[in-house]
Amino acid sequence: MNSKDTFIRPLLQENPITLNVLGICSALAITNSLTSSLIMSVSLTAVLVMTNVAISLIRKHLPSSVRLIVQITIIASAVAVIDQVLTAYLPDAAKTLSVYVALIVTNCIVLGRAEACAMKNGVGTSILDALGNGLGYSLILIIVAVIRELLGNGSLMGHRILELVHEGGWYEPNAMLLLPPSAFFIIGFLVWGIRGWKPEQKEKAEFKPAPLPDPERR
Amino acid sequence: MNNDSPVKAFLVILLTALVCSSLVSASVVILRPIQLNNQMLDRSRNIMKLTGLVEKGRTPSNDEMLELYRGMDVRILDIDQAVFNDELDPLSFDPRRAVNDPELGVDIPADQDQASLGRRSRYMPIYMVLRDGELNRLILPVHGTGMWSTIYGYIALESDLNTIAAATFYEQNETPGLGDQIMRPEWQAKWVGRHIYDEAGDLRFAVNHGKVEPGSSTWLYEVDALTGATVTADAVTAMMHYWFGPNGYRDFLDELREQGIPQ
Repeated sequence: MNSKDTFIRPLLQENPITLNVLGICSALAITNSLTSSLIMSVSLTAVLVMTNVAISLIRKHLPSSVRLIVQITIIASAVAVIDQVLTAYLPDAAKTLSVYVALIVTNCIVLGRAEACAMKNGVGTSILDALGNGLGYSLILIIVAVIRELLGNGSLMGHRILELVHEGGWYEPNAMLLLPPSAFFIIGFLVWGIRGWKPEQKEKAEFKPAPLPDPERR
Repeated sequence: MNNDSPVKAFLVILLTALVCSSLVSASVVILRPIQLNNQMLDRSRNIMKLTGLVEKGRTPSNDEMLELYRGMDVRILDIDQAVFNDELDPLSFDPRRAVNDPELGVDIPADQDQASLGRRSRYMPIYMVLRDGELNRLILPVHGTGMWSTIYGYIALESDLNTIAAATFYEQNETPGLGDQIMRPEWQAKWVGRHIYDEAGDLRFAVNHGKVEPGSSTWLYEVDALTGATVTADAVTAMMHYWFGPNGYRDFLDELREQGIPQ
């Protein structure tokens, strides 16, 4: 795979959310506001780049027995630093994101990329891979957030777009879109859409159901 | 050295731990002053909104905010004695640190602990907005255990010490998108004009589980529910019942109503 592919493929072809179904927790939780989603996207991409670089640098010295512990330690530290930076420079955003910044540690995309890419490739490839996956995650988050905030609250990034009925406008907001399950539906539709368009993404059936016994021969 | 030897594994872990922990510590130490500054400005900004001294929709500059802050009568209240304490400095007193202090903190009797706090400070800073020497608004800090952590807020009362003039919550870790709606100005605006006590002096304030119909019997005392956040809504009700009940500010409010501002 050339370097252009390393960057482009995770955007749609091998998107971490829609193909691998990773990072769903935060995608469900914080996508009710576009602002939070953007900040979450930047934070996750930053963590991904930092950890991929660090792990790629020391990959040849990682004993396989303690590999995962070291990876998680590095990821957790990167997340702690990002958390501190957010509370210092974007205190309001940090307040709304609350625990979800810290939960980047448990975002499978980060550990997944460390294992799948940074452990096997050089720094350059790892950075491109991290950026690609970070942006692929961001892309889905932004699509879901635009749908949820616009239809659920009539606004985008806090700016009023659709005039709400209770404020004298015409739009009756769909409160369900502000609840986490709506993100689940939207991501489901996205997965369906992408797999309909690119059928090679469909997973092979893991087993075939056994044929039903023929009632005549019993 | 062979990658699979135990010594190497030990060394790698040790080095990673050292490097990572120093990075995290460094970021905490370097960013701490900025975070503290944010917190302080945030707190005074929250109080400013409740004083009624700043026009709606305008954000005063930081200097202006400090000016307004100085214009208020800030006192330290001894909650149980219902008197002011002059020995503690209202500007530097930190009720959160006082909670675990053996002298400054006090255990809350379990049967009165609606807000599930366990322990609280004996003293609280309270903020009085005076107009021509008369009490115009009284701002009281409240806090209580929410869904995931403690919710902190301020309640501003009109001079009748019963009508809510404004309310705000400034720190919480409720579920994003659900419980954290308590931070929304639109919801906080619904508190304005609600009464805490009824005419008989009973504590009636509550966050409803649905929508409060205008003109219904609870209209004067209740605020609309938060969609999908029953635990948070109940926590806010419990917190109000604690702080405006007999273990909270009740005695002080009665005193104030009868005797005026104590010296």
